[in-house]
Amino acid sequence: MLRLVVRNLTKHKLRSLLTVGSLVVALFLLCILRTLVTTLEAGTQAAKSNRLWVQSAVSLFVDLPLAYEAKIDAVEGVEKTCKVQWFGAYYQNEDSFFGQFAVDGDTFLDIYPEVVIVAGSRAGFLANRIGCLVGKALAKKYKWEIGDRIPLIAALFQKDDGSAWDFELEGIYEVTEPVWDDRTFFFHWDYFEKTMEATTTGQPDVGTFVVQTRQGADQVPVMAAIDQLFEHGPQRVQSTTEADFQAQFVSMMGNIPFFVAAIGGGVLLAIFLACVNTMIMAAREQTRDIGIMKALGFTDRSMFRLLTLQSMTLCVTGGLLGIGLALLAEPWIAHGMGSFFPGFAITAGTRDLGIALTLGIGVLAGIVPAWQASRLRCVEALRSME
Amino acid sequence: MIRVRGLSKSYQRGGETLTVLDGLNLEMEAGRFYALMGPSGSGKTTLLNLVGGLDRPDAGELFVAGEDLGKISGAILAQWRADNVGFVFQGFNLIPVLTALENVALPLTLTPLSRSERRAHALHALELVGMQDRAHHRPKQLSGGQEQRVAIARAVVTDPQIILADEPTGDLDRDSAGQVLDLLVQLHRDLDKTILMVTHDPHAAERAQSIVHLDKGQLGRIEDTPRALAAGD
Repeated sequence: MLRLVVRNLTKHKLRSLLTVGSLVVALFLLCILRTLVTTLEAGTQAAKSNRLWVQSAVSLFVDLPLAYEAKIDAVEGVEKTCKVQWFGAYYQNEDSFFGQFAVDGDTFLDIYPEVVIVAGSRAGFLANRIGCLVGKALAKKYKWEIGDRIPLIAALFQKDDGSAWDFELEGIYEVTEPVWDDRTFFFHWDYFEKTMEATTTGQPDVGTFVVQTRQGADQVPVMAAIDQLFEHGPQRVQSTTEADFQAQFVSMMGNIPFFVAAIGGGVLLAIFLACVNTMIMAAREQTRDIGIMKALGFTDRSMFRLLTLQSMTLCVTGGLLGIGLALLAEPWIAHGMGSFFPGFAITAGTRDLGIALTLGIGVLAGIVPAWQASRLRCVEALRSME
Repeated sequence: MIRVRGLSKSYQRGGETLTVLDGLNLEMEAGRFYALMGPSGSGKTTLLNLVGGLDRPDAGELFVAGEDLGKISGAILAQWRADNVGFVFQGFNLIPVLTALENVALPLTLTPLSRSERRAHALHALELVGMQDRAHHRPKQLSGGQEQRVAIARAVVTDPQIILADEPTGDLDRDSAGQVLDLLVQLHRDLDKTILMVTHDPHAAERAQSIVHLDKGQLGRIEDTPRALAAGD
């Protein structure tokens, strides 16, 4: 029976190839598009419940006074506070852009145990005023090694003489959870602050504060206390949980899950209809064969199985090839996505969904022609001229 | 072997009822070669389809190989066909995507035989019809006469009691038709099958033992052929 299925499918090679090809594209797209969503959501899901982010109530792009740090530290339930400022410089030329942040180095590494130094050392990083910590992928991209001098050309925080900021690589990190990506560059707040104080710009403000709450502390009253503290200015703040903060980035990119679902659903529906069409044409061409087989003693049910198996073989071949292609292409796509989708990886859930949809399309596309084949009267089928 | 009593069959065509068989009574002996003749529309193919369990009668009794075909349907009727009947069609009706060997082995997939046994049986059947050297050819690589011989091999491979042939020489040239008829006669003689062959050709009919004449859905007459008379059958 399987041989007959394969022979029938290869009878019209071009048609079968086109149908399989369309399924390959559809399942490949589905896996990639869904992975964009799961990657975005992974950041939110990986967020720790003991971390809060404090930002300006006006906008994420409005800085907060440095003096807020001590007041936040004094709030009941706060364990540690880490200043974070987006630096926005580039390396060598404007195309060599990646995320850079000035942070309180020691506190940052305490608050983020997910950031694990795999080359160099924490002690070396903390001891070197111009020391920096970079993600493994970033170090690999620029072939940086521990001890390398890395000049960054500032776009926002320029020195008065316009010279580059000098850094020395003291640590390369990996992340155990996608709270940060491995293409980011961290350096010491003190270096940032002291350098800026020496310029005409003067003391810098803080982009956001990351707050670690005490173990067992209820985050809601802590957030309320911080927000209340600065209710009358000079800058009102908004405290959020890390999960909400991450989700904010997702929502900034628009309703991506909806668009992805709409595009993916549309593609799948189109492919499903194409598969139904292919199977109906195939079944019509096999009308006489079905009549012959029924005359030989094959039952209506076995004809139903034959057509369903044919549909399943066609769809499973295309679907599995598409999923396999997506898995093979994953490293290249992850590399291409860079910092936009850190931790881009096709999950087992996405893979299983792809397999389930493939099987579903296979069964549904085959049902109508299979049912027609099973209902076909033998003498009528034998009269068919197809 | 075949007992027909008051058999009727009609079809709906363009809103009208077309009666094809009208209370037909007929008996056929086991192991005999019958030719079924009659003008177009006399009900020959309809009778053949009913006897082969491809269609169901509207009324009457139809006993074939000990089974009342009017009372079985669906999977049971399909199994009965697989066990008892071999078909040979005018248009050969081989599955085009399968080789000659695979076509002949196809009905055997409904039996408990293993793959190697099915292959051995199919090769033997092809040998019987002299087509073993074309076992791996597809139907379109064969001539009409060769296709029909493969179809005959497929009809006998399950060792059925009855072989039903609907105009088996209708699409063949004179030489090929002669070879196919020779083959049917030989199989009838060697395998002792009951053969019912629909034909328009009096020369083909004379190769049978008896000729059953149908007219307007009813039995005209049954006559023994000179060949049968000469042989004392």
